[in-house]
Amino acid sequence: MSSVTPAIDSEQNSDALPDQTLIHIEKLNAWYGDFQAIHDLSLDIPKHKVTAFIGPSGCGKSTLLKWINRMNDVVPGARAKGRLAITGDASNDHVEIDVLDPGLDVVGLRRKVGIVFQKPNPFPKSIYDNVAFGPRLHMKTSKSELDELVEWSLQKAAVWDEVKDRLHGPALGLSGGQQQRLCIARAIAVGPEVLLMDEPCSALDPSSTLAIEDLIFELRTQYTIVIVTHNMQQASRCSDKTAFFFEGRLIEAGPTEQVFTRPQQKQTDDYVRGKFG
Amino acid sequence: MSSMPDAIVKQDAKYLADNARRRKRFSLWFYFLCVAIALISVVILIFLMASIWSQGHSRLSSDLLTRSHSELEIERSGMWPSILGSLFVCGTCAVVALPLGVGTAVFLEEFQPTNKLLRWIHGFVQLNISNLAGVPSIVYGLLGLTVFVYMFNVFGQIRVNESAGMEIMGYKHFYQVLTLEPGHVVFVPQSDPTKRQTTFDEPFQAVDPDGNSIEISIWTPGTPKPSDPAIRRQTVRAGAIGGTITERSWYYFRLPFDKSFLSAGLTLALVILPIIIISSQESLRGVPSSLREASMGLGATTWQTVRDVCLPAALPGIMTGAILAMGRAIGEAAPILVVMGAAVAKSTGPKHLMDDAVTMPVLIFNWAGRQQDEFKELSAAAIIVLLVVLLLLNSTAIYIRHHVQKAQS
Repeated sequence: MSSVTPAIDSEQNSDALPDQTLIHIEKLNAWYGDFQAIHDLSLDIPKHKVTAFIGPSGCGKSTLLKWINRMNDVVPGARAKGRLAITGDASNDHVEIDVLDPGLDVVGLRRKVGIVFQKPNPFPKSIYDNVAFGPRLHMKTSKSELDELVEWSLQKAAVWDEVKDRLHGPALGLSGGQQQRLCIARAIAVGPEVLLMDEPCSALDPSSTLAIEDLIFELRTQYTIVIVTHNMQQASRCSDKTAFFFEGRLIEAGPTEQVFTRPQQKQTDDYVRGKFG
Repeated sequence: MSSMPDAIVKQDAKYLADNARRRKRFSLWFYFLCVAIALISVVILIFLMASIWSQGHSRLSSDLLTRSHSELEIERSGMWPSILGSLFVCGTCAVVALPLGVGTAVFLEEFQPTNKLLRWIHGFVQLNISNLAGVPSIVYGLLGLTVFVYMFNVFGQIRVNESAGMEIMGYKHFYQVLTLEPGHVVFVPQSDPTKRQTTFDEPFQAVDPDGNSIEISIWTPGTPKPSDPAIRRQTVRAGAIGGTITERSWYYFRLPFDKSFLSAGLTLALVILPIIIISSQESLRGVPSSLREASMGLGATTWQTVRDVCLPAALPGIMTGAILAMGRAIGEAAPILVVMGAAVAKSTGPKHLMDDAVTMPVLIFNWAGRQQDEFKELSAAAIIVLLVVLLLLNSTAIYIRHHVQKAQS
C-alpha cells in the first residue's frame, strides 16, 4: 500500500466537489488562566477531509484541537469564548452542536468526536478490552455484536491481522505503532464522525509512521479527520487542507497543495520551507 | 570559534586521573556503608526473633492454639479467643477503613472541584488527613471511647443489670424463673422492658430451655409438693421472683456500642484511615494522566474513568498500603486497651456485634506483665503466633495483589 500516489489522485478528485463544512469556528479566543493561547480564530473544517494544523510549538494548534471535543475541560483555568460548532448533516436533521455551550452533554460530544493522542496510551488491559471499552460505555450490545464490532474496528485501523491471534493478550505487549493503531481502533469503535489526532506519529519510528499515514488516508472516506503535526512532509502527504498557526493566530488556511507551494503569507512560506520552527 | 575557557584548558591529566580514582573510592565506601546500615536492621530483627523463639518455643502446643486463658491451669492457658477476637476486630476495621479510605482518596485525587468553596474544603480535608497520620494511637483510643463506647451518653449509659442503652434489634428479654425441680428454669417473655423483675402468683405460659411452650402451675407452700419430676418441671412456688435474662442474636445491635469488638474495630479504623488514604492517593497519583485522557476522550464520565481505569491501575499500590495498615491494626494494643479494657478472661470469641473480645496484643501485654514464669513464656509463644498470623494475612494479600497485577499487564 503506497500512501503518496493515491493521495494526490483523490485530492484532485475531491477538489472537484464543493467542500461541505462540518466544524465551523468563528472568532474563537481561548485562555489558560491569564495566558491567551488563541486569538480571534476563524476556520472551517471540511467534512470527510483531512485537515492538518501546523505551526511551531506553542502556537495554539493543540489547544484548538482539544477544544473541539472539550478535552480542555479537565485543564484547570482553561476557558474559551467565541463560536465553535459542529454543523449537522442532512441525515441528522441538521442538528448543530454548540461545542462551547457550558450545558452541553460532553459525553455525547466525545462519542461523536474521538481523539487520538501523541503517545500511544492503550489501557493496561487486553487488546479486546481496549477496543470494547468505548462501546461498553455507550452501547447495549450482545457478546457476538461486540465481537463483530471489535473485529471491524481493528480491521478499519489496519491492525487486525497482527493481533487477531492474541486478542486477549495484553495491549501493552504490542509495538508502539501497533499500539497507536489500536488506539485509533478504540476511538472508531464508538462510531465517531470526527477523529482528532494530536501528533499521532511523533512517538513512532518511520515505518510505523507510514502505516498510520496510510490509515489516515483510508479513514477519511468515512471520517472527518483533524491532525496536528510538526512534520511538514506528513502534512503535505496526507492532508487535504492545511491551517498554519503562529502565536495563537491563524496565519493562513487553504488547500494543502496551495499552502505548501504558493503560500499567501511570508510567515507561512518561511515555516513550510524550514526557515524557522 | 572562540578559545576554550581557562577552567577547561588548565586541567592536567594526572589531576583528572587522581580525582576520578578518589571519587570512585568514595563511591565504594558509601556502598559498604549502605550495606552495613541495612545489615544492622536485619541483625536486630534476627536477634529479636531468636530471643522470642528461645523463650517461647517450648510453649507452642495445641493447648496454646485451642484453649483460653486460665488462672488455675496456667501451663494449659491458650489464646484461641484472642486469635478470634483479633480477626473480628481487624475484620471490622478493614471493612470500615478500606472503602472509606479508598473513597476519600478517590475524592481528593480524581474529583478536584473548580468551585472556590469546594476547593477550600478539599484543601482542608487534605491538610487534616496529613496531620492525623501522625497522631499517637492512644489519642484515637480516647476518641473511640467517647464516640463509640459512650456516644457522648446521648443514648443513655450501659450499666450491668440496670440499663442496656437503646437496644435496636436482635434481642429478646425473658424473665427467668426456677421451677420446683432443682436447677431447672423456665422463661417468660418480658412484656414491660422497664420492669427488671416480676413475681409469679398465678399460672402462666412459659418456654422451657428446649424452646417448647408449656403451661406452668403454681405450688403454694403448705400444700403437698408434687413428686413427679415432669410435673415439678412445670410448677413454680407461689411468689417466685423472675429476673431478666436477654437472648441475643449475632446481629444484636444497640446504642451506644459499649466495650464491644465493634467499638474496638471502628477505633482501629480511625487509626489506619490516614495511612490508607495517603497510600491510595499516592498510587492514584501514579496512574498516568494519559490513561484518564484516553478514557475521557472516549466519552467516559469521571466515575466510569475512576472505576474502569484509575482504580484497576492503582489497585496494586492501594493493596500495598492496605497490607501495611492492617499489619499495624493487628498489632495495636493501646487504643484497644482504652476502648475494651485489659480483661483477658473471656473464653470464647465474640458471640454478637456488641460482645467484647480479647485481642492478641492485649493478651500478650497481660501475660508479659505477670509474675509467673509460665505466663512469661506463654507471652513469647503468643508473640510467635501473632507474627505467624500476620505473615499469613500479608502473604494472602500479596498473593492476591500479584494475581491482580498479572491479570492487568
